[in-house]
Amino acid sequence: MKLLEFQAKKILSENGIPVPASRFIESVADLDSTDFPTVLKAQIPVGGRGKAGVVRVAMDKNEAKKIAADIFATKVKGYEINTLLAEEAMNIRDEFYICGLNDKESNRPMFITSREGGVDIELLAKEAPEKIMRKKIDPLVGLMEFDIRDMATGLGIPCDKAFVSIVRGIWNVMRRQDATLVEINPLAITDTGLVALDGKIILDDNAGFRCNDRMTEIRSGQEGRIVKEKSAPEILAEKYNISYVLLDGDIGIIADGAGTGMLTLDLVKDLGGIPANFCEMGGKAAAEAAEQAMEIVLANPNVNSLLISLIGGLTRMDQVAEGIDAYLQKNSCQIPIAVRMCGTKAEEGVRILASHGIAAKADLSETAKMAVNYGGK
Amino acid sequence: MAIFIDRDTRILIQGITGNVGAFQTRIMKEYGSNIVAGVTPGKGGQNVDGIPVYNLVTEAVREHAIDAAISFVPAPFAKNAAYEILSAGIPFLVLTTEGIPENDNIDIVRFAELTGNRVLGPDTPGLISPGRSKMGVHPQLMFKEGSVGVVSKSGSLSYEVGRVLTNAGIGQSSVVGIGGGPVWGTTHKEVLREFENDPETKAVVLLGEVGGKLEHHAAEFIKSHMTKPVVAMIVGRSAPEGAQMGHAGAIVEGEEGTATSKLKALKEAGAHMATTSHEIVKILQQMGV
Repeated sequence: MKLLEFQAKKILSENGIPVPASRFIESVADLDSTDFPTVLKAQIPVGGRGKAGVVRVAMDKNEAKKIAADIFATKVKGYEINTLLAEEAMNIRDEFYICGLNDKESNRPMFITSREGGVDIELLAKEAPEKIMRKKIDPLVGLMEFDIRDMATGLGIPCDKAFVSIVRGIWNVMRRQDATLVEINPLAITDTGLVALDGKIILDDNAGFRCNDRMTEIRSGQEGRIVKEKSAPEILAEKYNISYVLLDGDIGIIADGAGTGMLTLDLVKDLGGIPANFCEMGGKAAAEAAEQAMEIVLANPNVNSLLISLIGGLTRMDQVAEGIDAYLQKNSCQIPIAVRMCGTKAEEGVRILASHGIAAKADLSETAKMAVNYGGK
Repeated sequence: MAIFIDRDTRILIQGITGNVGAFQTRIMKEYGSNIVAGVTPGKGGQNVDGIPVYNLVTEAVREHAIDAAISFVPAPFAKNAAYEILSAGIPFLVLTTEGIPENDNIDIVRFAELTGNRVLGPDTPGLISPGRSKMGVHPQLMFKEGSVGVVSKSGSLSYEVGRVLTNAGIGQSSVVGIGGGPVWGTTHKEVLREFENDPETKAVVLLGEVGGKLEHHAAEFIKSHMTKPVVAMIVGRSAPEGAQMGHAGAIVEGEEGTATSKLKALKEAGAHMATTSHEIVKILQQMGV
C-alpha cells in the first residue's frame, strides 16, 4: 500500500526523523490561519508532483488562495485533488537523496543515497549512475554503525547524531513496520538541521496479518483523499480482489494462471486481435472466482468476444465451469465465448459448458484463433 | 538422473495435516514420491496416509534420513517454519507458500545461504521429475519422463508447455517452478546450471516473463557456460508498463523489465526463441530431441 505524503511523514516523525511543521488544507478557507511563506502540496499517491504543478510555494495568503484553488481544480494521472499539505517553507542549504528498500538482485535490504537531492532518481541512475551509492545490509545482522558512517562519508556530511537517527529511523520503518520502500527525496540541510522535505513509504500488503490495526488506520486516512476515476470493471476487480488490467481492445480475456494469462494475451496480439484486458483468477475458490471474473471482464462495454484460457492444475475445471454456468444463467450474454479447458476434471467441465452451446477446446492457440475471429466480426 | 529430486529422494512434508498439505501429500505419494515423514506442531504421533507426523523437524530428522522438505505452511508462520527446516540441516526446501511478507522472504533466503541450503520458491508450484518423484502441485498427467529440462517462473505456463511437449512425445527430465517473485530463493540461472550438469538432460526450455532481471542473468549464464541448447519463451510481451500481471514480480518497471530487452538478451546469448508452446516443440524436434 502506497502511503500519502502526510501519512509517510507521520511515520517518519514517529521514528525520529524531523519533518517540517504542516497543516491540512481541505478548502481555500483553511488558509486563513496559515503562516507564510508556505509550501502547498497536493496529497495524491503519484510521483512527479512538482513537475505536474501541484507542489508550489506561496509567499502570502492571496497568492496561496489562488494557488490552492488552481491545485484543487487540477487532476494528475486521473487523481482528483482534495487535500493539500501546507508546510512551513524552509531555508535549504543543501539537499540529498536517501532511500531504503529490498534489493531484488542480491536479496538484501539496501540503502540508496546520492548527493543530488530532489532529483528523479531513475533518470539519474540512467544518466549519471556514478552519482548513486548503494549500501547493502545483511538482514540477519542488521544495520551497523559502520554502515551509517559509510553512507555519511559517501554523502560528504558528518556522521552526527541527527544523521544516525535518520538512517536508523528508515531502517526501523523498513524492518519493524514492513515497509518495502522508504524514500526521502530530498533530505535537506536547513537552518534547523536535517529535515525530510518529502517522504514516500510503501507498506507490504502481505504483512497485514501482523499490523492490521495500522493498515486499517492508514486506509481510513486515505478514504475520500485518494479519488481516481475508475472504470466499472476496475471497481469490480478491486471489490472481488481479482487481478485485472484494463486494456484498449475488444477481446476479453480470463485465465486461471498468471503465466498462461500473459501467454494468452501475447497469442491474441500475435494473431492480430487486441485484448480488452488481462484478468487472472488466482488461487481462490474456483466457481466463485470464475463467476466474478466473468462479471468483471464483461462489465467492459468494449468487449466483443471472450476468451477463457484454463489449464487445471490446482484449480478444478468442473468448478470453474460451474462458475461460468452460474454467470450465464443469471445474465444474458450476447457475445461469443471461446474456452480452452484441460487438466483436472476437464471432462466434467467441458460437459457443463456444452449445455450453453460452448465447445471448449484443449488447445490454446486454436482457441485464441477462434476468439480473434469472433472479435473481427 | 534428474535435477534436485529423484526416485530415492527422501522427503519431509511440513504442514502435512493441513487441508492442502494432506491433499497434496496423498497425490505425491501416489505418484511415487518417497515421503518419509511429516511435521505439524501439536499433531505429533498421528499419521497421514501411513506417514508418521512429528511435532518438530528435529524429531523427524532423528528418526529418518531426510534429503528434502516441502512446506505448505500458511504465510504468517512460513518464516519460522522455513528456519526450522534450514536449522535442521535439510539441504533442499520447496516453499510453496504465497503471500509471505517481503522481509520474511529476504530473511529466509539469506538464512538458507548462511546454512548452505537451497530454497526453491516462495510461491512456487514446486518441481516434478516425471516418472520418478514430485514435490509440489504439478498435474502429473501433463508430464512424462524424458530428456528436456524445463524451468519456469509461472506454474500454469510450465503445465501448458509440459502438456504440449508430452502430447508431442517429448518427455522431461525435471520441470522446475521457481515462483512468481519478486524474491527468489533459486533463479533461472541456478536451475540452468543444474540442467547443464545433469547427464540425462539434452536440452532446456526456459520460461520467463516480464519484470525483474532474472532472464538477463540467465542469458549471461547461457552465453558463458551452457553447452546444451536452450529454447526460451518470455510471456507478457504485450503487458503495459507499470501494470501488475498476476504475479507480484510481473511488473514492467524500467528498460530491463520489458519482454523486448529479455528477448534480445536471450537471443544474443544463443537461445532459440519461441512465442508459442507449439513453436517450442517444433524447435526441439528440429534439434532431434
